[in-house]
Amino acid sequence: MEFGNSGFLNEDGIHLDMDRLKKGEVNLGTSIMAVTFKDGVILGADSRTTTGAYIANRVTDKLTQVHDTIWCCRSGSAADTQAVADIVKYQLELFHMMNGKPPTTQTAAAIFQEICYANKDMLSAGLIIAGWDERHGGQVYSIPLGGSLHKQPYAIGGSGSTYIYGYCDANWREGMEEEDAVNFVKGALREAIKWDGSSGGVIRMVVLTAKGADRHLYLPDTDYKVRHA
Amino acid sequence: MTSIGTGYDLANSIFSPDGRNFQVEYAVKAVENGGTSIGIRCKEGVVLAVEKIITSKLLKPNANKRIATVDRHLGIVYSGMIPDGRHFVDRARDEARAWRDTFKTPIATADLASRMGGYMQAYTLYQSVRPFGITAIIGGFDPSTDLPVDGEVGRGPSCGAGGKVPGKTFGGPGLYMIEPSGLYWGYYGAATGKGRQAAKAELEKLDLAGPGGESLTLEQAVKEAARIIYVAHDDNKDKDFELEMTWISGPDGPTKGLHQEVPRALREEAERLAKKALESDDEDEDGKMEE
Amino acid sequence: MDHRPQAWGRPRDDVYGPYDASYLHNNQPKTATQSPIVTGTSVIAIKFKDGVVMAADNLASYGSLARFTDVKRLRPFLSTSVVGFGGDVSDMQFLDRHLNELAIDEAYEAEGCSAGGLGSSAQEPDASPGASKGQLNAANLHKYLTKLMYRRRNSFDPLWNQILVAGFDSASAPFLASVDLRGTAFTSPSLATGYGAMLAQPIMRKYAATEEDAAKLTRDDAVRVVRECMKVLFYRDARSLDRFSLAVVTRDGVDISEDEVLEQQSWAFAERIRGYGTQTV
Repeated sequence: MEFGNSGFLNEDGIHLDMDRLKKGEVNLGTSIMAVTFKDGVILGADSRTTTGAYIANRVTDKLTQVHDTIWCCRSGSAADTQAVADIVKYQLELFHMMNGKPPTTQTAAAIFQEICYANKDMLSAGLIIAGWDERHGGQVYSIPLGGSLHKQPYAIGGSGSTYIYGYCDANWREGMEEEDAVNFVKGALREAIKWDGSSGGVIRMVVLTAKGADRHLYLPDTDYKVRHA
Repeated sequence: MTSIGTGYDLANSIFSPDGRNFQVEYAVKAVENGGTSIGIRCKEGVVLAVEKIITSKLLKPNANKRIATVDRHLGIVYSGMIPDGRHFVDRARDEARAWRDTFKTPIATADLASRMGGYMQAYTLYQSVRPFGITAIIGGFDPSTDLPVDGEVGRGPSCGAGGKVPGKTFGGPGLYMIEPSGLYWGYYGAATGKGRQAAKAELEKLDLAGPGGESLTLEQAVKEAARIIYVAHDDNKDKDFELEMTWISGPDGPTKGLHQEVPRALREEAERLAKKALESDDEDEDGKMEE
Repeated sequence: MDHRPQAWGRPRDDVYGPYDASYLHNNQPKTATQSPIVTGTSVIAIKFKDGVVMAADNLASYGSLARFTDVKRLRPFLSTSVVGFGGDVSDMQFLDRHLNELAIDEAYEAEGCSAGGLGSSAQEPDASPGASKGQLNAANLHKYLTKLMYRRRNSFDPLWNQILVAGFDSASAPFLASVDLRGTAFTSPSLATGYGAMLAQPIMRKYAATEEDAAKLTRDDAVRVVRECMKVLFYRDARSLDRFSLAVVTRDGVDISEDEVLEQQSWAFAERIRGYGTQTV
């Protein structure tokens, strides 16, 4: 059977990502999120990539660097989001060279948004942009399917996110310490992985602060308790 | 070496053997004949002023503005060939628009100066064009507060963004002057046009680079700007002129970060003080003569 | 081999050739027209004697998911008009940026050193802001938006919004008009988009059926009616929120408060409701 090509949103608000995929396309089923905290931002993601029910990749890295301390979480079509991230990475590098100063998270968000908006009928990309810069500190921007731009204290995305709106709303606190923020992200993603068939595998995180980018990795066989690397 | 008759001044794209571009030097002459323009950069903002020579009694007073706004927070004043200046402003507005389209945020003063410097320089390279007959002064106030991405909705955490570098400030006033060669520098005070020598001498007395610039308020800068234009006009007394002045303050100041014309009451007060200062100068000189 | 449940019970392609799935396709024409994804619901507005009051809630929905709860859908223009957006949020942001650039261009024209304003508009710098001549008023802005929306629908790339424009017309009378994704324009003493057209408009018409009625309303009257309508919309529109933005446009300018909360809601009568028919406990 073909996947639907109507592009319309299902009433449950969950199954739109699937419906918009092209035939045979690799889907980042996905649970992604990014949060602000006292010293910057943290990005987090699961690692499952599916084609239908088949797990095409069980250790995917959905956290993508577009500049030193500006990263994005990708959901939707793997091909589309990789292409968009590559374009933005190039643009930001160019910006840094031409203007002699590093781009801000806002610069990145603006470029991401323009691409997603101008090509909305060809893309299935749900992105979260998170970054730290000297001027604005840590910031989180969400760019959902239609290409709108939303500034948020924290953002969640992907099919798994629908299962954790309650968890996040209940447990979110502004200006957390790093350790608490890491635990918040981990707790939320554990729930998403637990309930969403399209999310699974390891939990990856990137912590962005004045000190730079720091990667975290947590594995299911140690119950996501031990930090590897 | 003179340029006359050598042929090296006939085209833009040819250097003279001693390394000069005569077309650019002639363009500078056009600037030196124009009404004086100045810019003052102080802690609270930037003031731009121009001596607008009245070429005909049939011109409407206060019309035909010479200082132009670019985006909302930048101003450009120029001396020299006015149509060249108008085109320069048009281009600056296009650059500001292009920046907004791409980055969804207003262009910084330094970035506009850089782009316009590049544009001006390109007109010194080709056989088919002549250089700009103007020197332009660009003033602006880059926002010191956080700005949204144009069109964004939503907010960050109410406690503010985490991880900001404490004590570090951003934005502030900017003043740049671009010459026909495309050369541009950032200045504390800039002057160009016919009365530039006198104006520069006066600007230097303000000590804008040192404690003078720290203590000078924006209103004082407006008054100084008016006085300097009047002083600079002194050598050109046979012609009538109008004083046009604009200013740009920070978000907390009188213009709220926008480039605006100086309010009429303040401008007239500044002009009154300028005239008074000139008269007392004259009296001093007269006094000396009598000695 | 295709193991997905969708393929179960079908003849194998490698044995019987490619399966003809044409009957599964819907036979509707292919269109390049997109559809709204992140959306805002109703916008409502009513005229009063000195201006116009407008309101819209702060929700951007993603299907039935209440995804973003801090989205401001009322935007000021040149501090003389307010534009309220329903429908797609990304298109709203596009229009917001477009109107921002339009406002900058308008200011260039008014300045008098561009070709359009040469010599003509010798504006004194102290002229009251906003009221200056030569700037777009709400009626002009609405005409502009109508043309823009209609042009986009004709290129089969509509901006998926329902828009209300409030402010003043060239005669300095209160102005209120709407335009939608097809370029259809209306004007009326009160207007509402989406669910508001069904639920709020009848209420507003009780107070301002005609221009004459609207001219009798005070600012407080108009604000009270709009608040009441927002409450009804919150009760009955499943894509609405109890936090909203309220804008009042008068000749003095635009006053927008973006964190209004619905007050004095009526829920306690639920106590008396038992069962669905004869049950009483």
